[in-house]
Amino acid sequence: MSDYNVRMLDHLDQLTVISGLQMRIALYEDMKAYKQLYELLSDGLYRFSYSMVRSAEVAEEIVSDVFIKLWQMRARLSEIDNLRVYLYTIARNCSLNYLERNADSRVIGLENLDSGAFAEGANPADLCISADLANQMRRIVQQLPPQCRLIFQLVREEGLRYKEVAAILDVSPYTVRNQLAIAIQKLGEASLLKGILFKGVAEK
Amino acid sequence: MHPREDQFWLLVSLRFSGEATPEESAMLDRLLEERPEMAARLEATSDWWIHAAPRNPGLKKGALQRHLQRLNEREKLPPRRGGGRRLFLFIAGVAASLAGFSFFIYHWTPKHPTPTVAHNSISTKSGSKSKIQLPDGSQVWLNSDSRLIYSETFTGNEREVQLCGEAYFDVAKDPIHPFVIHTNTIDVRVLGTTLNVRSYSNEKNTEAVLIRGSVEVILHSDPEKKIILKPNDKLIVSNANLASTKTAKADADSGRTLNLGKVHFMARDSSAVEVLWVKNKLAFDKETLETVALKMERWFNVKVIITDDSLKQMEFSGVFEEEALPQVMEALRLTGNFHYTIRRRVVTIRP
Repeated sequence: MSDYNVRMLDHLDQLTVISGLQMRIALYEDMKAYKQLYELLSDGLYRFSYSMVRSAEVAEEIVSDVFIKLWQMRARLSEIDNLRVYLYTIARNCSLNYLERNADSRVIGLENLDSGAFAEGANPADLCISADLANQMRRIVQQLPPQCRLIFQLVREEGLRYKEVAAILDVSPYTVRNQLAIAIQKLGEASLLKGILFKGVAEK
Repeated sequence: MHPREDQFWLLVSLRFSGEATPEESAMLDRLLEERPEMAARLEATSDWWIHAAPRNPGLKKGALQRHLQRLNEREKLPPRRGGGRRLFLFIAGVAASLAGFSFFIYHWTPKHPTPTVAHNSISTKSGSKSKIQLPDGSQVWLNSDSRLIYSETFTGNEREVQLCGEAYFDVAKDPIHPFVIHTNTIDVRVLGTTLNVRSYSNEKNTEAVLIRGSVEVILHSDPEKKIILKPNDKLIVSNANLASTKTAKADADSGRTLNLGKVHFMARDSSAVEVLWVKNKLAFDKETLETVALKMERWFNVKVIITDDSLKQMEFSGVFEEEALPQVMEALRLTGNFHYTIRRRVVTIRP
C-alpha cells in the first residue's frame, strides 16, 4: 500500500476515533473521552491558531476556549457532522476575532494575515535530509501567501481533506485544490534547483 | 505533447494529499512514464512531503491541566441561561463518515392540542448511535441504522413505540400505562424494566433480551401465545416467513422459529454481551462472519463484502472497545486466517 493510501486510512481512522470520543462525551459526559479528544486535537488547533495570531499564549487560550465551548455544548454534540472541522472553524473565528480586536479597526481576513507565521521548530532530525534543504523548504513555506500557507498547513500537517479545509476556511474546495498545487509547485521546483538532493533518501 | 508545468504539479499535489481520483492518478502515472525526468522531480518532493515537511511545535507542557482549570472556573459560574421549559430530548448520535455525513434526527413537536396524531421519529444512520429520553422519562439508546417511532398520544393509555433496528430500553415504571415495543415479528409489553430489542429487517432473527424486571412477548405469528421473560432470558424469533408461520406452532420442536436461551457474559465484562454496544463496545459472541459483517457495516458505516460462502459460516467471538476499523479487521484476520482489503469505505474479505 502506498504512503498516500496510508494517509487516507489514517484519516478514516482518526475520524472513527474522534466520533467515538464525541459520542462518549455526548452520551455519558465522559471526562476521560474529553481529555483524550483534547490530547488528540489540541496541538493541531494550536498550530492553526498560532499561524494566525502568532502568539503562543493567545493561541493556547484560543484552544482552551474552543474546548470550553465543546464541553458547554456537549448535550448537542451529536448534531455535529464532523467535529474536527467544527472545532477548527471555531478556532478560526476566535483567531480572526482576536486579530480584529487588536488591529485598530483594520479589517482582517485570511488574505490579510501577516506572512511568515511559521515558527522555528521544524525538525529535520532522523531524516536523511540536510538541514540546509529543510531550512530552505521552511523558508519557502513561510513565504507562501497567508491563505495558501494555511491550506498547506491544514492538508500537510493536520492531514485534513480538501473538503474539510474548504469548510474551515470558508473557501471553495477548488481554491484549496489550486492553492495546494501552487504550494507544491513552489516547493518542488525549489528542491530541484538544489539538485536531486534526495537520492540518498529515496533509497533509504 | 507536453502538459503544462502547473498541470503536473496539480496532479502531484492531488496524489500527495490523497485526493487524486483514479483517473487523475492514472494520468500522473502516464506522464511519469512518458517523461522520466518528471519522475525524479516527484521523487524528490515526495519524500519531503511524507517525512520532512516543517511542522510547528504543539502546545507547551501542562496545557491540558491549565485548560481543565479554566474549564472548572467557568463551570462554577452560574449558568447564563436559566430556567425555562426544557424538553429532555437528548440526542447523541455520532457521525463517523468521510463523505459529508449528515446525521439527522427527529422532528420533535412539543405537546399542543392538535387532533391529528403526529409521529415522532428518531433514526440513526450507520456508524452513529443516539440516546433519547421519552416524555415518560424512559431512556432509549438507539443503535446504528435504527429507527424508533412513537406517536404523540404516547402519554395515553399505553406507551407504544415502533422499533426497526436495535435499541436498549430503560423503561420508567408506570404500572397503569404499559409500555409496548412493536417490531415486525414480536410485540413486547412491559411495565417497568430494562431490556434490549434487536430487530433489523436484514437479519435472520429478532432478539429480545431482558436485563431487569419482567416482560411479556407476543409473537405476531401466534398472538395467542404469550411468552414471559425473566431477567437474563434471551428470546430469538426467526424473521423468516413472517406471514406463513402463522399456522406453524412456534414450539421448541421447530426450534428455528423460536428459541429461548440465556444471555452470555464475557469474562471481562459485567454486562451481557448483547448490550455491550450501549457502552460503545463492539461485541461478537460466537457469531458467523456474515453476522459480524452486518454489525460492522452498521458500526463503522462501511460496506463489507465476503467473496467466499464458506467464510461466511466461520464463527467469531470478541469484544472491541474504541478500536478503529483497521484494528478490528486485523484482529479478525488473525483468528480467521483470511485476507482483506479496505478501500474507501468498502471492506473486502477473501480466503
